[in-house]
Amino acid sequence: MSQTKTHTVWRLLGQRFVLAAIFIALWAFAASRMPAFVLPGPLKVWEAMQALVVKPTFLHDIGITMYRVVMGFLLATVIGTPLGLALGSNRTLAGFFEPLLSVTNTVSSAIWAVFAIIWFGISNATTIFVVFMTAMPLILTNVWQGSQNVDKQHVDLARSFRMSRAQILRKIYLPTILPYFFSGARLAFGFGWRVSLVAETLGSSDGIGYRLRQAADLVQTDQVFVWTLTLVLLMLALEGGLLKPMERRLFRWKPI
Amino acid sequence: MSAQPDIVLARNPARHTAPTVLQVTQLNKFYGSLQALRDVSFDVCRGEVVALLGASGCGKSTLLNIAAGLDAFDTGTLEIEGLAAAQFKQWHKLAYMFQEDRLLPWRTVHENVEFGLEAQSLSRRERRERAERALRTVGLAEFAQSWPHQLSGGMRSRVALARSLVVEPSILLMDEPFSKLDPHTRSQMHQELLRIQAESGATVLFVTHDVEEAVVLANRIVLLEPRPGRVKEIVEVPLARPRLPTDKDTAELTRQLRLKVTP
Repeated sequence: MSQTKTHTVWRLLGQRFVLAAIFIALWAFAASRMPAFVLPGPLKVWEAMQALVVKPTFLHDIGITMYRVVMGFLLATVIGTPLGLALGSNRTLAGFFEPLLSVTNTVSSAIWAVFAIIWFGISNATTIFVVFMTAMPLILTNVWQGSQNVDKQHVDLARSFRMSRAQILRKIYLPTILPYFFSGARLAFGFGWRVSLVAETLGSSDGIGYRLRQAADLVQTDQVFVWTLTLVLLMLALEGGLLKPMERRLFRWKPI
Repeated sequence: MSAQPDIVLARNPARHTAPTVLQVTQLNKFYGSLQALRDVSFDVCRGEVVALLGASGCGKSTLLNIAAGLDAFDTGTLEIEGLAAAQFKQWHKLAYMFQEDRLLPWRTVHENVEFGLEAQSLSRRERRERAERALRTVGLAEFAQSWPHQLSGGMRSRVALARSLVVEPSILLMDEPFSKLDPHTRSQMHQELLRIQAESGATVLFVTHDVEEAVVLANRIVLLEPRPGRVKEIVEVPLARPRLPTDKDTAELTRQLRLKVTP
């Protein structure tokens, strides 16, 4: 049983390694036929990365971007969750506000970024606002959907034990909604990351998005690559180190 | 000697000596202009097992929900332990068991049983101990840490029973609790329920459309008629326990009652 498991893990690692090797080989081949400012080779990017990592601004930029994303995300959670619960518990309210949600979903994050610059100028608030406007509808919609899936039989069970409304909310509604919230939050966090960069290229003077634009303006293509690589690694670490284990722990009750 | 010497008569120990636990008098219930219950009267004594028997549409479940205080009624009176329902405060001494097991999938078996106690202010330790005791009673102590989806239908039903028993109810109300189980598991649960009832001395009022189930379990059967739901007859079941559906007397009484249920 565990032997076949280790076997699968090794095979998966092997596959990943081969994939990375193919990618780097193609990259090196393409780079060798093009000028470095269009497509820098793997070696050049590796050198640029080593140079960047030791700079004191490196951690600051990552930290500040992280801070903005997390703040926007937390705000979206704090506001989106109760709104989703309210819409889920009241059909009339939901019908009334539904068009508003469709509108917010169609407005592009880039447009929110433009508005944010007009309203907040070059500041943390600009990026936080854009992340918030992107993440909030996602969280709201998922919580709403989740609260519609609360089993009436479970609510009646709680009622038969004379539980209060607050207890029913905590013991029946929240556990039912949690998986929906979680998938919404993951989506929101992923989108939040991406749009935070857009916002930072337009309206800030530090952070990963700002560095990306700076590098592009100065045609430092290798820097653009390094930052992209950093982002990908960060996201992978977050996914594998935090989100996946959290999901496994929270939803260990699910079959299979 | 009676004319039928092979019918073993048992005295209903609860009747006549024990106080009335639940009394329903001239109860009427309407859904809009539709009358669901008309002038329903019956009582249940302490330690008794009473069945509400009838075809679908005779308001059995409505009646049980009213007795549980989960549903309102229009006219008539409902008295629990000598108090009018509005004055009765000890609702936690009343347990309600649904047709479905209604286990919460995100809780372990043990946590599901503890759920029954979470409306009361008990210490964490007392909750845990009582849940363990209830699980032992239904014979599932070693499955305490399992998830509901890992259990068979019969085991899930036992967990639901444990969740009802954990409140140490003086009245247990059951709405066709075993109707979703296969016949074998079902009769096992019947024996289990009767054993636990005999040990705890709890009063049991249950709803069923299955005549055999009513005869096997009940001291008395309240026979209901449909449209609107009303009492047709209250039948004593004077047979000795344990009753097996295959026993001659049990089968005979079942046959007679079946004729009355389906006209």
